[in-house]
Amino acid sequence: MELFTPDLGLIFWMFVAFAVLFLLLWKFAWPAIMKGVDSRAELIDQGVLYAREAKEQLDNAKLQAEKFEAEARTRQAEILREADHMKSQIIEEARAEASREAKKEMDAAKVAIEQARKEAQQTFRDEVSAAALTIAQQVVGQTLADPKAQAKLVDNLLDNIEKTN
Amino acid sequence: MKQLKALILCLVCAMTLGVAAARAEGKPERAFDPKEIIFDHLGDGYGWEVPFDHHHRIPLPVMVWAADGSFHCFSSAHVDHHAVYDQDGYSWTVPAQGDNKGKVVQILPDGSEVKPKFDISITKNVCALWIAVLVTLAVCMPVARWHKKHGFKAPRGFVGAIEQLMEFIYKGVIKPTLKQDSRRFAPYLLTVFMFIFIMNLLGLMVIFPGGANLTGNIAVTLVLSLITFFCTNLFARKHYWKEIFWPDVPMFLKFPIPIMQVIELFGALTKPASLTVRLFANMMGGHMIVIVLTLIIFIMADFGSAAVTGLATGVSFAFSLFMLLLDVLVSFIQAFVFTMLSTTFIAMAQERGHDEQHHTPAPQPAVNLE
Repeated sequence: MELFTPDLGLIFWMFVAFAVLFLLLWKFAWPAIMKGVDSRAELIDQGVLYAREAKEQLDNAKLQAEKFEAEARTRQAEILREADHMKSQIIEEARAEASREAKKEMDAAKVAIEQARKEAQQTFRDEVSAAALTIAQQVVGQTLADPKAQAKLVDNLLDNIEKTN
Repeated sequence: MKQLKALILCLVCAMTLGVAAARAEGKPERAFDPKEIIFDHLGDGYGWEVPFDHHHRIPLPVMVWAADGSFHCFSSAHVDHHAVYDQDGYSWTVPAQGDNKGKVVQILPDGSEVKPKFDISITKNVCALWIAVLVTLAVCMPVARWHKKHGFKAPRGFVGAIEQLMEFIYKGVIKPTLKQDSRRFAPYLLTVFMFIFIMNLLGLMVIFPGGANLTGNIAVTLVLSLITFFCTNLFARKHYWKEIFWPDVPMFLKFPIPIMQVIELFGALTKPASLTVRLFANMMGGHMIVIVLTLIIFIMADFGSAAVTGLATGVSFAFSLFMLLLDVLVSFIQAFVFTMLSTTFIAMAQERGHDEQHHTPAPQPAVNLE
């Protein structure tokens, strides 16, 4: 049957024609078409994704804004409270500092007074002992020759006086 | 609807009258041979019928290497209707019967016929082939031009329709089957699809430049399936060959008697054969049915009365129309099936084995075609 026996000439031409067609399309058509189709699909996918995200963001925006506002309000109150606290703290500190300073001054003054009193006492004592010695010398005469023993005696006397006072 | 009815009635009447008139003319009719007409239409020829004229043919070049190796080229008009043509001492003709029926042969001085060594004549089918190539280019190139010019924008109109067709094959068949290898093989598969589809549709056109039974010719489908066969086997991966020569079956099935190997090899070889015959038989069958249905008119006319002929004409017309419309569908389906099976065969040869898959989780980058 002629229909079932492939003709060599036609096979040859079919090879040539298909090769020519394939090479032309391979070189000039398919890369551009496939790239175009693929990149378009990607673009559409990305576009849909982007739109969905945008809608979601829009839906969330109001909620977000309210959240931000509430947050800001609490922050404000917090700051105010903190400032208040700080104010009282500063005052407290200043007060404490002042009293401490005053106490220090007072202590210093007390110490100085004490010192002065002690010095005055000593001076007074010396003067009294000297005066007493002089008096005693004149009273007793030259009896007590040793001045050191004299001073000790006077001191003892004075201590007795002080104790009785 | 009314208009359609009136139109059909008019057509039937006209056809009845036409047939009756032709009979009344009393032409010297030769015996009506449906078989010859069918095979004449399905087969190849050295000239191309002029539309609506059974006697004249569009001349096409005949190119043959004679048995002695000399090259000859002449117009097919010289050998039309089995005429004998003498050129430079060589006589050529197309015998009406015998072993070389319908083929150009050389007639030796003693009257015997000698087949030429090689016949690369531009026959009706070869001419139609080149027309199909041009049409395919004319259909595909605008899509490529659009993509180069407009980038991601979607084309409209005819270009958009063709692009949809390509995308249907590319996204629907090639990508899901071949996955990361799709960019490598898509150019071939898309070319095959567009070419077969256009050849099928051109074959359905009754007159020049269509009408050649291209995809219903076994040489054409054979070449296409052979290319698929080579694509499958030349680019096959290790796993494919292992499956053929050392499949995972019990030892006694593959050694010492290679039962599985024989079966697998036979399977690999039957794939192109099935591709060839499927497309060829479907398209040839479609053409044959349409011709036979059309011939009912003439077969009935041979029997006699105009009423019978008229009825037969109406029936034949309706059935032929239906079959032609069905063939439009079949044209697409067969192009689709050929592409799908080619894709599957190539994908099977591209399969990486299970071990290989585990070791190489990252898909290999497809070969960049740009």
